[in-house]
Amino acid sequence: MIAALSREGRFMLRDRAAVVWLALAFALSVAAIAFGIAEVREQRATIAALVEEDAADRANAIAGQSDWGGVAYNAFHLTYAPPSDFAFAALGQRDASPWLHRVRMLALEGQIHEADTRNADFGLIGRFDFAFLTATVAPLLLILLLYDLRSAERVAGRHDLLLATAGAERAVWLPRSAVRFGALMLALLVPFWVGAALEGASAFVVARASAVVLVMLGVWWLITDRLGRRNTAPATILTTLIGVWLALALLLPALAKAAIDARYPVPEGGEILLLQRESVNSAWDIPKQATMEPFLARHPEWAEYATIERPFEWKWYYAFQQVGDQAAEPLARQYRAARLARDAAAGKAALVSPASLLERYFQHLAGTDAGAMIAYEDAVRAYHARLRAFYYPLLFRDEPYDPALLEDLPRFTLAAD
Amino acid sequence: MSTAIRIAHEEWRLWLRSRMVVAAALIVAVLIAATGALTMERLTTQAKQRATQQEAAEAAFFAQPDRHPHRMVHYGHYAFRLPPPLSVFDPGVDMVTGQSIFLEGHRQNTAMFADAKASANMGGFAALNPAALYQLLLPLLLIIIGHGVVLRERESGTLGVLLAQGQSALALAGGKALALLGVVALFMLPLALMAAYGVAAGEAAGPAIALVAGYGLYLMVWAALVLAVSTLVRSRSAALGVLTACWLAMVLVVPRLGINAASALVDAPGKIESDLVMLSQERKLGDGHNASDPAFEQLKQDLLDQYGVESVEELPINFRGVVASYSEEKLTGLLNEFAERRMQSEARQSEVFGRFALASPTLAVGAASRALAGTDLATHHRFLRETESVRFGFVQALNEMHATKLSYIDDARRSVDPEAEARTRVNAQAWAVLDRFRFAPDPPAERFARALGPLTLLAGWLAALAALVVYAARRLAP
Repeated sequence: MIAALSREGRFMLRDRAAVVWLALAFALSVAAIAFGIAEVREQRATIAALVEEDAADRANAIAGQSDWGGVAYNAFHLTYAPPSDFAFAALGQRDASPWLHRVRMLALEGQIHEADTRNADFGLIGRFDFAFLTATVAPLLLILLLYDLRSAERVAGRHDLLLATAGAERAVWLPRSAVRFGALMLALLVPFWVGAALEGASAFVVARASAVVLVMLGVWWLITDRLGRRNTAPATILTTLIGVWLALALLLPALAKAAIDARYPVPEGGEILLLQRESVNSAWDIPKQATMEPFLARHPEWAEYATIERPFEWKWYYAFQQVGDQAAEPLARQYRAARLARDAAAGKAALVSPASLLERYFQHLAGTDAGAMIAYEDAVRAYHARLRAFYYPLLFRDEPYDPALLEDLPRFTLAAD
Repeated sequence: MSTAIRIAHEEWRLWLRSRMVVAAALIVAVLIAATGALTMERLTTQAKQRATQQEAAEAAFFAQPDRHPHRMVHYGHYAFRLPPPLSVFDPGVDMVTGQSIFLEGHRQNTAMFADAKASANMGGFAALNPAALYQLLLPLLLIIIGHGVVLRERESGTLGVLLAQGQSALALAGGKALALLGVVALFMLPLALMAAYGVAAGEAAGPAIALVAGYGLYLMVWAALVLAVSTLVRSRSAALGVLTACWLAMVLVVPRLGINAASALVDAPGKIESDLVMLSQERKLGDGHNASDPAFEQLKQDLLDQYGVESVEELPINFRGVVASYSEEKLTGLLNEFAERRMQSEARQSEVFGRFALASPTLAVGAASRALAGTDLATHHRFLRETESVRFGFVQALNEMHATKLSYIDDARRSVDPEAEARTRVNAQAWAVLDRFRFAPDPPAERFARALGPLTLLAGWLAALAALVVYAARRLAP
C-alpha cells in the first residue's frame, strides 16, 4: 500500500494541472487565514480601545451631574461581543449584525436595533474566509483534481490494460484518488492549523472543525468517484459534476433561504420603533397616572413611591421609558422568535447541502452564527435590566446624590447571568 | 460573412440536439423567470409599503397635539428609502443596509432593520436575485455550452477537413463567435423585459438601456474567453477545467479577496467608534438642554449687548430656544463632519475593492449594475445625507419656534408649574414645518458617470480577449 501511495504521489507531482490546483488551494487557504486573523485582531483592538474611551467618556459625563436622573441620562455604557479565538476561520454574521452597542437608561428598543455595521458592500459580497473556502471553493477544486482519473486513462487507451495488470480495480483507483484527496486536505488544513495555533484556538474545536472538513469533502469525493466511473467523455463527466456542485453549493441553499424567509415572516422592524416612540412621546400629553399604572404592574415594589407631583420628575421620565419598551415588547419578542425560527429551519435545510452544513457548523464553533448574535442582544437586554435595577431604588427612594455610589454601576459582561 | 452564418447555424443545430445543453438552458431559464418574478413581487410590495409608511409617518407628525416644540424635536420623524424601479433586477445593497431611519434632535441614527440581518443563514451566497444569476450563473452556462465550439471540430477531425478545404481560420472563429453571440443575445431577453418593466414603472430609458448593454458586454467578455480557450487548448476536458478555474477565480474568489483587502487596507471606523471620539469634542460645545452651561456665556453676552438689556429674562426672545438652536447647529456641524469622514472612508474601501475589477469582470459589471439601478453604496450615502438635511430642517424650524413663540420665564418654570407648562405648548398647526421627503434615484447622468469606469473596464476586457481570439485563430492548426 505504501509503495502504491508513493508511486501515485510521484505521478501526481508530474501532473501539472494537479499541482496547479493544489498550489491554488494552499495559496487561498493562506490568504483566507491571514485575512481572517488580521480582521479579528483589528476587531479586538477596536474593542479594547473603545472600552477605555467609553470609561473616560462616562467619567466625563458623570462629572458634571448633580442628580441620579441626570447621570442616568448622560452616562452611556459600551457593550460588545468580542470575536472568539476561532472566529478567524468563519466571520459569519459579524458583517451583518452589530457586535457593539452603547446603551443608556432610555427605552432600550430605541437603542438595541441600531446597526453599527460596516461598509454595506462587505455584507453584499461577503468575505473570503476559511469556512467559505472549504465549503464552496474546495469542492470544486476537488472535482477538478479527481473527475478524469478514469476517463483520462480511457481516452489514453490505457484503462483496460491498467486494470488487467493491477488485478483488482480498487488497487488502481483508491491510492490514486486518496493521494490527491489527502494532498488537497493538507493544502487546506496546514495553514488552518498554523492559524489556529497563532490564535490559540482550543485543540478540541480545531479537531472538530478539521473532522467536519474531512467528512464534507469526503462526501464530495464520493460524489466525484460515483459520477467519474461512468464510461463517458471526461468533459461530460465534468459538466455533470459542475451541475451537481452548483445545485448543492449554490442553488439549493439559495432556494432554501428564499423558502424559509417566506415561510417565517419577520414582523416589520420599523413597527417596533414606532410603537415605542408613540408610547414614550405620548407620555408627555397624558395624565402621569396613565404611565405609572402599567409601570407599577411590572414593579409593584415602587407603588408607595410612585406619586408624581410636578410636571417633570426623573422617576416618571424613566417609568415612561420603560413603559415604551413594554408597549413594543410583544413585537420585539416576535422579531426575535422569528429570527430564531428562521435559523432553526435553516439548520434543518442545511442537511441537503454539504456547503451550507459546513459553513453553519464553522459559524457555530466560532460563535458567529445567528444564535450567537441573538445571544449578544440578550446579553445587552440583561445588562440594561441591571442598569434599571441599579437606578430605580435611587430614583424612587429619592436617595441623596452621592457620586461614590456610582462605583457600583453594573459592568457589562457577555455571559448572560 | 455567409460562411460565418453557416458555421453559426450548424453550431446552433448541434446545441439544440444536445440534451445536456438544452436541459441546462431550461433550468437556467426557469431560475431566471422564478427569481425575476419573486424579486419583482418582493420589491414592488416593498416600494408600496415604504411609500405608505412614509406618508403615515408624515401624517403622524402633523397629527401631534399642541406641545412644547422641543417635544417634537424628540418625537422625531421617519424617512424611508424607496427602492428605485430597476431594483427589481438588482436590489444591490438594499438587502444589507437598513431601509428606514429615525430622525430626531441631537442625534444621527443609523438606518435600521436590514433584511440580511434577519434572513435565514445558509452560509456563502447572498440571496439569489436576477442580477446575481446574470453575474454568477450565466457565465457558467456559457462555459458549459461553449467550451467545445472549436474543440468539437478538432476532436471529431472535422477541423482539419475545414482548414484543408481552404476555409480561413478567422472565418471559422468568426462563425463560432457569431454562434456564441446568438446565445448571449438570447440570454439578454429576460433582462430586456425586466428593464422594460423598470421603464414602465417610471425609470428613465437611458439607465435601463445602459444596464442591458452593460450585461451584454459582460456576457460577451465571457463568450470571448470561452472561444479563446476553446481555440487554444487541445482537449475538451482541459478547456472545461481551465474555464471552470477562471470562473471560480473571477466570480467567487477575487471579489471576496477584494473585500478582505479593502477591509484590511482602509480603516473605516464604525459609528460607535467615531461617535466616541466625537462625543468628547461635543462636551466642549456644551449641552443644548442646559441654558446655563458655561459654554453659552459668550452667546448670552452677545445677545444681551445686541438687545441692550441686562438679563436674559428681559430679552424679547426665549434664550433657551436660542441656545437649543445654536447648539443643534454646532453639534450638527460636528456630526456631519464625522459622518462625512466615515462615508468617505467607506467610499475609499469601495474604491480599493473596485480595483480588483481589473482581475474580475464580475466585480466590474456588479459595480456598473448597482450604479445604474441606483442601488449602490453611493446612493445609500446620498440617502443618509438627504435624510440628515430633512432632520436638521425640521429640528431648526422647531427650535426657531422655541425661541420666538415661548416666553423665557414660562419655559424655565414649566418643570414645576403646570400653568406655565400649559402656556409653553405651541398650536399643533405649526408642525406643518416638516418637509415632505420622497427618496428618488440619482439623475441618469450621475449614474452613468459612476458606471462609466467599470463599463470601460469591461470594454477593455472584451477588446483584449477579442485580440486573443484573433491571435489563437491565426495559429489554429488541426
